[in-house]
Amino acid sequence: MTYDSTEARGAILARLRHTLAGPRPIFRDRSEPSAPPTVPTAVTRADGDRRSLAKQFGAQLAEISGSYEILEDAAEAGERLVQLVKEWSAEMGAGAGEVPEVLSWAARALPGENLAGFLEESGISFFVPEDLHDESTRARAARAKVGLTGADAAFASTGSIVVASGRGRSRAASLLPLRHLVLLPMSRIYPTFEDWLHTLRQDQALGSYLRVSGQIVFITGPSKSADIELNITLGVHGPRAVHALIFDDAW
Amino acid sequence: MAVDVGAPYATRVRQALADDGMRTALDRATGHLKERRDRAMAEIDERRLRDEAGAVRRYAIERLPDLLEQLEANLIANGCHVHWARDAAEAVGVVLEIAREHEVGDVVKSKSMVTEEIGLNEALERSGIDVVETDLGEFIVQLAGESPSHILAPVIHKRVEDIAEIFRIRLNTPRTTSPAALCAAARRELRNEFLVADMGISGCNFAIAETGTICVITNEGNGRMVTSLPRVYVAIAGIEKVVRSAEDAVLLWQAATRNATGQNVSVYFSMSSGPRRRGDTDGPEEMHVILLDNGRSRILERGYADAALCIRCGACIDICPVYREIGGHAYGRTPYSGPIGAVLTPLLDYDIHAARDLPFASSLCGACRDVCPVKIDLPRLLLDLRSVVVERGASPVGERAAIRAYSTVMRRPAPYRALARLAGWLGPLAGLLPPLSTWKRDRGLPRFAARRFGALWRERVRDEEGAAG
Repeated sequence: MTYDSTEARGAILARLRHTLAGPRPIFRDRSEPSAPPTVPTAVTRADGDRRSLAKQFGAQLAEISGSYEILEDAAEAGERLVQLVKEWSAEMGAGAGEVPEVLSWAARALPGENLAGFLEESGISFFVPEDLHDESTRARAARAKVGLTGADAAFASTGSIVVASGRGRSRAASLLPLRHLVLLPMSRIYPTFEDWLHTLRQDQALGSYLRVSGQIVFITGPSKSADIELNITLGVHGPRAVHALIFDDAW
Repeated sequence: MAVDVGAPYATRVRQALADDGMRTALDRATGHLKERRDRAMAEIDERRLRDEAGAVRRYAIERLPDLLEQLEANLIANGCHVHWARDAAEAVGVVLEIAREHEVGDVVKSKSMVTEEIGLNEALERSGIDVVETDLGEFIVQLAGESPSHILAPVIHKRVEDIAEIFRIRLNTPRTTSPAALCAAARRELRNEFLVADMGISGCNFAIAETGTICVITNEGNGRMVTSLPRVYVAIAGIEKVVRSAEDAVLLWQAATRNATGQNVSVYFSMSSGPRRRGDTDGPEEMHVILLDNGRSRILERGYADAALCIRCGACIDICPVYREIGGHAYGRTPYSGPIGAVLTPLLDYDIHAARDLPFASSLCGACRDVCPVKIDLPRLLLDLRSVVVERGASPVGERAAIRAYSTVMRRPAPYRALARLAGWLGPLAGLLPPLSTWKRDRGLPRFAARRFGALWRERVRDEEGAAG
């Protein structure tokens, strides 16, 4: 018998419809309400003003082995970023004056005005790949020790960030290097996942947000595994360190 | 000695109970998991989470065909290829066809029980394709030539010293019992595989109908690698994985991870809505989604829709006193173990008797029902399956005779008293006599008390009457 997806589809759907149209209830417990709330209740909690949310975000991230700093503005965040990359390069045994490449999102995809110009003059090489299916580009990206990205949103109650793939926003930058730096404006920190989803839904933007990118990822701290006798080990495949540079973008 | 997953149930259990290393590893791990879960659940409104997660799953299963059609339309609109598969053979055939079309030589996989269910690795390897499991636990299991013994922690049955030995033999890793060093060795080994693989394969935790989005939960980041680096990405989703909206998926993600490991959420939650867009730096050029039935529509047909609610958090497995003694391999050639495995395995099979022993691998203590984040009444399902097995005459003849005899004796005081007295005299020998001997073959029989309850009771009543008078 040759396989035909359309035929399989018809058979599966017909069988399900036949069962569901039957007279008997399909679940054991009939007292359960079957209509769930459209907006689920937030599982975790956080509240307060922007500063307080930034601190809660940081505290949650630190709880799961990430780290953070709160900076006054984008310029300060940029300076700190450059300083950190240089410090880490020294730690990782690069020679004097030798600074390895940062696998980065394009400047226009990063938050913070005038940051692009500043980073350009910093003496650090920010590698923004065009096409990671190109072999030499991929090899170069794989050598980077630090990745730099922005984030579309962040959540104070869990220390999570949201990154979306797209032009100038490689998935690789938050995945391949051992250290991941995140530039995070305070205005993007929501108390919980549910608050953010609710805002997008109300603006009728949730569907298009999810579909316009090939992939959206929620990242909550550094990569880890507990597969060996439940010992927590960091940096299994993704970054071992996730460091958030949170800056106040109020004006 | 390891458990032979192909042996009969009683043999598997005996082998498991004799494996001290495995039992030490299981004991260390499951105890921790329970503690972590309890702590994490105490931080939130557990009852509300379970109510809402349960309602969200029921909503989806009640509308399964409509949501599947909506999912399909949206996946296609997003640029995905959608394939439907009635059974394992069809699903495997689709994957092989995609692999052939793209001349795939190397495949990287993120942990997926549905691919274990359909025997995908073996089929790919038979076609000359190299398959590498990239979840650390699955990678170890693959190196050892075994199968996963837990849906979330595939190598929960091994001690760190066993794992170190596997790494030394297979990867030439210097002798070490440091989990960090073993992890680093695996990272080096697997990083290259990610970079050169032609195809990535994952399962699917939730499929969002409203947006055509496939969600994958991982902690290590291998799920992101598999869905992002190779040119071709194939997701295999059981048809029951569909959910209504992003809100529902995010709720279930939190319910699943908090219940599984005690984390607020997993490190990564990847939501793929199609191949890379024009101008994107990375991401697969093609994305395929296989919607797999393989017995799932039959589960609904047989009246076990509750089992389709499962979000694979594994909490029922960690808490099950039977699993904690015998481990996952004693459940046989199935990726699903513990209480949910004892329900799913016989139901997924055409022949319900093929796994007829599994519904009996439970003490019906109810712990699994109490931890289930979508409130599946697992003991009830196990009991129903037991009665199906017994009704169809699949239990041993001797056992049926014994139960008939038991029922006769228990309902009549005189024979009961006589037999109890006899058992007291015979002591441990009672178990050797048929029909009790059949019953006792795979069960322990409690020692009969030297003095019967009836006798003690009469004595006490007499004493109290004496004291009162």
